[in-house]
Amino acid sequence: MKILLSLLLFLPLGGSVINALLGRVLPRRVVETVACAAILGSLAAAVAVFARAWQSTYYFVILPWVQVGSFAANLSLYYNPVAALMTLMVTFVASLIHLYSAAFMREDRDYVRYFCYLNLFVFAMLVIVLADDLLFVFLGWEGVGFCSYALIGFWYDNPANADAGRKALIVTRIGDVGFGIAVALCFFLFHNLSITLINAQAATISPVLITILSLLLLWAAVGKSAQLPLTVWLPDAMAGPTPVSALIHAATMVTAGVLLLVRLFPVVSLSPLALMVIAGVGAVTTLYGAGAALGQRDIKRVLAYSTLSQVGYMILAVGAADIIGGMFHLFSHAFFKSLLFLGAGCVIQALHEEHDIFRMGNLRRLLPGVYWPFLLGALCLSAFPMIGGFFSKDRILLATYLQPGLGYKIFWLLGLIAAFLTPIYTMRMTFLAFKEQADGPAQADLKPFPRLMTWVLWPLAVLAVGDGFLNFPGGPGKDFLARFMAVVPGSRPDLGASTALEWTMGLGSGAIILAMMALAYYLYGRPGKAWAWPGGEGVLAWGFYLDYFYQQVLVKPYQALARIFWQDVDEAGLDRSFGGLAAGLLALSGGLGRWTTGRLSTYLAMLFLGLTLLVSALAVSWYLW
Amino acid sequence: MIVPNGHVLLLAVILFLLGAACAIARRNLLMILIGVEVMLNAASLAFIGAALKWRQLDGQVFVIFIFAVAAAEVAVGLALIVYSQRRTGALDADAYSRLKG
Repeated sequence: MKILLSLLLFLPLGGSVINALLGRVLPRRVVETVACAAILGSLAAAVAVFARAWQSTYYFVILPWVQVGSFAANLSLYYNPVAALMTLMVTFVASLIHLYSAAFMREDRDYVRYFCYLNLFVFAMLVIVLADDLLFVFLGWEGVGFCSYALIGFWYDNPANADAGRKALIVTRIGDVGFGIAVALCFFLFHNLSITLINAQAATISPVLITILSLLLLWAAVGKSAQLPLTVWLPDAMAGPTPVSALIHAATMVTAGVLLLVRLFPVVSLSPLALMVIAGVGAVTTLYGAGAALGQRDIKRVLAYSTLSQVGYMILAVGAADIIGGMFHLFSHAFFKSLLFLGAGCVIQALHEEHDIFRMGNLRRLLPGVYWPFLLGALCLSAFPMIGGFFSKDRILLATYLQPGLGYKIFWLLGLIAAFLTPIYTMRMTFLAFKEQADGPAQADLKPFPRLMTWVLWPLAVLAVGDGFLNFPGGPGKDFLARFMAVVPGSRPDLGASTALEWTMGLGSGAIILAMMALAYYLYGRPGKAWAWPGGEGVLAWGFYLDYFYQQVLVKPYQALARIFWQDVDEAGLDRSFGGLAAGLLALSGGLGRWTTGRLSTYLAMLFLGLTLLVSALAVSWYLW
Repeated sequence: MIVPNGHVLLLAVILFLLGAACAIARRNLLMILIGVEVMLNAASLAFIGAALKWRQLDGQVFVIFIFAVAAAEVAVGLALIVYSQRRTGALDADAYSRLKG
């Protein structure tokens, strides 16, 4: 087990190191093979570990890391059903994305850097999944942040891309501050940073401190998972290569925040207030993302805002004390979102970097190999009854509804509205991109791309459609996922809903979702001109001006302050005073330098003058005293 | 004691000033060296005068020392002058201004 787990974790790091050291001298094919083989090996290890461990948990220390006084941090791993599912999902999705990348980046010269970061990204995420020590988790947490920065700004020649990378780094850094404080607080409270130990001892701590700790963890999760109010980096993160977006949105990075809350759920669950706040953040973000996605024109930004929305559901699930629902949705989301992103990557590359869905069209005829998997992914995202995200979203909404208190009813309503908006924005994107358009692109306009890029869509499509059956409410594999995860502390396999309520909600939301899809077809799917928002798409397209607001309230004053410090304090104040001092000294030394004439006779004359003065003074003083 | 002490001192002062003037005003290194020699001899003269006045031999001993110093100085100084002349081709003191700031 130890060897398998270590292989699972360190193979991606090994691939990254090999490519970083030798990538320049190896041929391209070898670099790609090393990167893909590292992740595929990791996947194989994950499968082997899963098969051997099943529901059991493993804990072992790779090596002690820091030992100062009473403080100790170990490089330790902890394997449990949550980690099992996450490692399988992360390595599987990442393997497909790596294969896809080999084709997608075929014309890029910086493939070594790309694959190096991609492997490192997966490694950092696996650290977050597997590490038992919070400090070790923090290492992965920062590693994920760094890799996202490096990959979002991958095409750094364009300043906008580099800015997007910096934005991602800075905004997530705000969340990382929360994590840093949470780690320090954990050490203060528990004198240990092991997650298992913290979870076991959480009940002994006073409720106020637990609430503070939980809110700090939420703060950390909000930064990494791009929840309100730190959403702004995610839509801009679309500047990176499309497979990177798929990796960030599906397997790594944005789910890290949810995962952190899930892993520390026994702590979080002790504070009703914190749960309420978590649910609120999730619910509001869900609706925010869904609303903003309605107005986007860029296909990747639609998907980005939909990620905000879907990750909001996961956070909402944690807030509703249903981590199984959260993990379930994390799973479904990983499959259909990576599928949608990879499909969008095919579309974008085929149309010569065209991102605007209003300038697409005809793709159902032109790219059938992309259309069908993409459609399946879109249906899963829309929570089409009986497939994909339907069951997971349903479970989350049910769990929220069942929580006592008016607040949860409101959050449930917000989540429900967002769930009904989801089919509209999803199908809007799908219809606009793929339906027949008279003035759309033609066969001759398309740029060919390798078939591999469409092949990898199919495994994802099958899983996206089929993963609902992991937790199917009936039949032979009834509630498989819930039973599998039942051993995780804090999980509630059975929500305790009556069958009638379950069926009412399932059927009701299914019916409304179908109606919404019909509406989307009516608005966008019919042949001819698509419906447009009467007042323009301004508010929605700008993401409710959140970015603009931050720009005005935070960035502009900060820049003004920086300018004052730069121009008034530094340049006008410090630089000029030092400059004046230097100029004065220069003038003084210039004056003194004039004495140094270089003429021997002057020196001698001065010598005699001085001697005369000295002797005269001596003579005078001698006479006077 | 034929010559009064005051006269000796006066002569020494005149000689010293002449030597100093020569050392300051002349630009030829040789002439400067000669000026310095004159100043040294003026000082020697003052010592002799003082030794005579107080009837003590210390002044004369000092003069012998001064001779030794002057001889050494001339030996080193002339050698330097010859070397400088070879090096720069000039005996002009103002030409040696490479260390000027």
